[in-house]
Amino acid sequence: MDLDALLLSRLQFAFTVAFHIIFPSFTIGLASFLAVLEGLWLLTRKEAFKTLYLFWVKVFAISFGMGVVSGVVLSYQLGTNWSVFAAVTAPVIGPLLAFEVLTAFFLEASFLGVMLFGWRKVGPGLHFASTVLVAVGTLISAFWIISANSWMQHPTGHEVLADGSLRAVDWWQVVFSPTFPERFAHMALAAYLTTSLVVGAASAWRILRSGPSPESSIALRMAIGMFAVVAPLQLVVGDLSGKDVQRLQPAKLAAIEGFWETRTEQPFHIVAWPDRAIEGNRFELSIPKVGSWITAGSVEAEVQGLKDFAPEDRPPAAIVFWAFRVMVGLGMLMIALGAWGAWLTLRDALGRGGREGPERSRAFLWSAVAMGPAGFVAVIAGWIVAEVGRQPYVVYGFLRTADAVSPIGAGQVSASLLAFMVVYAVIFVAGMLYILRLIAQGPQGEEEDAPVSDGQPPGNALAAAPPEHRP
Amino acid sequence: MRRIIEPPPEAGAAPSPLWRRLAWFVGLAVAGTSATAAVAYGLRSLLMP
Repeated sequence: MDLDALLLSRLQFAFTVAFHIIFPSFTIGLASFLAVLEGLWLLTRKEAFKTLYLFWVKVFAISFGMGVVSGVVLSYQLGTNWSVFAAVTAPVIGPLLAFEVLTAFFLEASFLGVMLFGWRKVGPGLHFASTVLVAVGTLISAFWIISANSWMQHPTGHEVLADGSLRAVDWWQVVFSPTFPERFAHMALAAYLTTSLVVGAASAWRILRSGPSPESSIALRMAIGMFAVVAPLQLVVGDLSGKDVQRLQPAKLAAIEGFWETRTEQPFHIVAWPDRAIEGNRFELSIPKVGSWITAGSVEAEVQGLKDFAPEDRPPAAIVFWAFRVMVGLGMLMIALGAWGAWLTLRDALGRGGREGPERSRAFLWSAVAMGPAGFVAVIAGWIVAEVGRQPYVVYGFLRTADAVSPIGAGQVSASLLAFMVVYAVIFVAGMLYILRLIAQGPQGEEEDAPVSDGQPPGNALAAAPPEHRP
Repeated sequence: MRRIIEPPPEAGAAPSPLWRRLAWFVGLAVAGTSATAAVAYGLRSLLMP
């Protein structure tokens, strides 16, 4: 394989964006979870909601910071590695990213401070408003990013100028391009799913280690409620998004399904290895006719295969095919986990479960722990389908990825890629380990810590004594 | 050790005057925005010729 500047730049962007997406896909859901926890605490004054809030807000603060820092790196790469893309598409993409900064980023930055440092200073009402504004800000951020990416998937509302650059002529069409609504819903639901799986796994882990507590039990049941509802809904929204792909990006659909021939009664390939060299699949395990039905709604429907497209216009089929199966496979497991958890909760609520609430089923708790990272893996797999499936274009049908790269050398990109790998390995691994340690410690961890010493050195017995009894 | 992330006030604690709470709210929001703007302009000045 020839490691030229193009391939290295693609690897670099893939590495940094895959790392970045972990954080927003967690913080979008976590911010809303925090808003719900604080709202419930204000309504009920139940101590468990406050304890949960104070625990998860720490995880949120660290994840949010890492998401911001890793996101800034992406913006710079548009200038350093993808300057042709930036120059050609800036009149369309630039304002969308600027709107993200002006609306979402500043909203989050302004009220995160109140959220973290202001509870005793601003009072409960204004603090709750700040938490809600931060949660709304994360969703607005996703709105603009998905809008920009959806435009890259199916560009509309622009015209091409004589010098080859673009100009927006209808901002409504640019912002709300045809695939945007389904893709935004798909991403927002993915974020909520990811967060609920992490919250569920952390709570299950605490229960397995220390037994049920009000905090762990509430968080586990809230998580079950979320993924039991959202996982099946995600399947429906994902199918709608798939219909967009069939209509607007038929080459991507052919790669997703491993279709090579254009025909009716396409089979559904459960597993296969799409091979460009033979223009076909190896090791197929398929169900006849079901592929046409799933993708086009009828076994008689003719669905395009990859051979309908010139070899240079086809996406890398094997990567897209398998990334899609990883995403859907994990989605199915999430639906199963949600149904299982909902069934255990319902039985418990109806008094038919005896000691079989979700907190009492070790099999369920271990399954919830195992599924903790599933949301992140599914999100990354989904983005691989979206981005690799759009190849060889960076702006579908208009600008090829090979034509979008900066005039830089492979040596320069290798050096920056290596630097990113080292920096990310040190800083972000340390951050993630810290988050995992916090999660393992659990919401009660802080309260279990040594008492506040009030100026006494750690370990001093006087620290635990009431101030009036100290010498 | 003082907690960086502030917990809510104890139940029954007398709230501070409204003007002070509003001032903190605006102050913290402006401080957050200003910090972001300072970083943004700092990075911009590094990049602009």
